[in-house]
Amino acid sequence: MSFEPFNRLVRLAARAFYDDITMKGENQPKTGRGDNRGIAVVVLDALTKRQWVREEDLAKSLRLHSKQLRRTLRFFEEEKLITRDHRKESAKGAKIYSAAAAAAIDGQVVKEGDEKIKMHTHSYCCLDYAQIFDVVRYRMHRMKKKLKDELDSRNTIQQYICPNCGRRYSAFDALQLISYTDEYFHCENCNGELVAESDKLAAEEMGDGDDNARKRRREKLKDMLQKLEEQLKPLAQQLARVKDLPVPEFGTLQAWEAKLSAVARANGDANGGDPTKSSQGQGYGGTPMPFLGETSVEVALSGVEVKEEDTETDTKTTPMKVLPPWMIKQGMNLTKEQRGEVKPVPKIDQSSEPVDDKKPKDIKEDDEKNIQDEYLKAYYEALVKRQKEQEEAARRIEQQQEENRTSTSDQFTASVSERRVGMKFKREENENDDVEWEEGPPPSVNTGETFYKLADLNVEADAVADDEDDIDWEEG
Amino acid sequence: MFFHIVLERNMQLHPRHFGPHLRDKLVSKLMKDVEGTCSGRHGFVVAITGVEEIGKGLIREGTGFVTFPVKYQCVVFRPFKGEILEAVVTMVNKMGFFAEAGPVQIFVSNHLIPDDMEFQSGDMPNYTTSDGSVKIQKDSEVRLKIIGTRVDATEIFCIGTIKDDFLGVINDPGAAS
Ligand SMILES: [Zn+2]
Repeated sequence: MSFEPFNRLVRLAARAFYDDITMKGENQPKTGRGDNRGIAVVVLDALTKRQWVREEDLAKSLRLHSKQLRRTLRFFEEEKLITRDHRKESAKGAKIYSAAAAAAIDGQVVKEGDEKIKMHTHSYCCLDYAQIFDVVRYRMHRMKKKLKDELDSRNTIQQYICPNCGRRYSAFDALQLISYTDEYFHCENCNGELVAESDKLAAEEMGDGDDNARKRRREKLKDMLQKLEEQLKPLAQQLARVKDLPVPEFGTLQAWEAKLSAVARANGDANGGDPTKSSQGQGYGGTPMPFLGETSVEVALSGVEVKEEDTETDTKTTPMKVLPPWMIKQGMNLTKEQRGEVKPVPKIDQSSEPVDDKKPKDIKEDDEKNIQDEYLKAYYEALVKRQKEQEEAARRIEQQQEENRTSTSDQFTASVSERRVGMKFKREENENDDVEWEEGPPPSVNTGETFYKLADLNVEADAVADDEDDIDWEEG
Repeated sequence: MFFHIVLERNMQLHPRHFGPHLRDKLVSKLMKDVEGTCSGRHGFVVAITGVEEIGKGLIREGTGFVTFPVKYQCVVFRPFKGEILEAVVTMVNKMGFFAEAGPVQIFVSNHLIPDDMEFQSGDMPNYTTSDGSVKIQKDSEVRLKIIGTRVDATEIFCIGTIKDDFLGVINDPGAAS
């Protein structure tokens, strides 16, 4: 499962729709340093590089005031772009996730202050890709529909206004408004003559001759529609591209944490096992988990050798071509930003720190279909391979000990064993290849993801050397 | 759109009708009460086609009236958004025109009349094309599309358009004569 196409969608949507949104406090003076346009875009971009993230951590890493960030996030929540979760956590934060079910799930829980430790409400957020996809599509649909309807003044219910008292009527009130003395509608209040409300979109055009105004309005609408199609084309294309892909989902905060911690526990990784804890310890570095998942994907790819490499360079160059023209349309300063963001991040090797790990992915915009296909092929190859190994490892474990059948624990143990067994494994590769893995579950996207995350944890825990090892024996 | 549906109603009958013709009396009263009425939910009741069941009457204390639950079949007419209807123009003014399709009143505002038709005032206000070939005036028959309905408890009012393919005048009484 790849986040990248969806992340690109988010970034495009951010620039298209949220570029000039200002987040203003109710009491903040309009003039001051209140101009924070662009923040929305920055926040969304940052979220594409994370999964579930604690909002304070996000604020810290973005150098934003947490209040300001919260306002932005609340806005996005209303826009249905992100999911948020609030809950109370002890200052220590340890073991929270395991008790998560019992503890307050949302922040509105009444008063549980009499717990021994002091509880604070923490908020988390992450992108909701499935919903973003729908929201963006709906928004574009509405925009087009509104313009089109207005263009042929079709399906629009005429509104009328009383110029005297300002009262509004709609065509539905027509029956009551008829006057038998002349051929106009009259206000029920003051008997003033109602005027049809000209469309807001082109209101300023009105004034001179009726016909002329109408014609000009049509032209303006047509123009707007055309511009809209043109400027939103990249977004529309991305939507089309993403349409048939499985939508990545993080699940609820609890589920996500449980998944990660289970992985970590299986790995015997004491610290990594508890995202809450680790985050407590390391400030904003406390969200390392998400990145790990991405890293592993990278690792898997590098295992596939030359052909894969080609694709990567290809994919890397394409965005350079694709992005700029569109960016330029969006406005110059934006272009710079975008470029700035793109350039400093060359293809990062797997050894880079977790925070950056996600970046190379961002840059590789696979635009052409074939490239995408190739990429996918390679990806799945790696995936199957890995799964095979895991399968095998799991089998081994089964022999050693009784196994419980819950699917998650199953996978996790499997991954652990893979890690433990790693080297031994090499010897037996030949045997594994044939019958055994046919029995295994089909490589569903979900499990695939889990596995990768697991692998990642390994990488994180054991440092880079491990990666090299992995690659080696995959080739062998 | 027309529907044939079953509705239920509690009928109150005066004791003087209690006799051999009680059932007939009940049915005729039902017709008188129901036909031609409009409910927002089901639309206009056009005609009662049959009585399915008359339940046990309940004598009301004090008055002696008896309440019968009656199930009856009827044809209802309920306009929907997007529906194409044929209607007779009842009134034309500068703001547009009104038309009736059976019991339903429809208003077509002037911006939903094709751009090439212009309003002509006079004894017989009308909308006419510049070449005079098409004219909408009182008693013209038009085919229109409903783009909005306002449904109250006892009333349905529609907004229509003739600004679309195959909509507009279908029979001009003035031209025929
Ligand atoms: Zn008024």
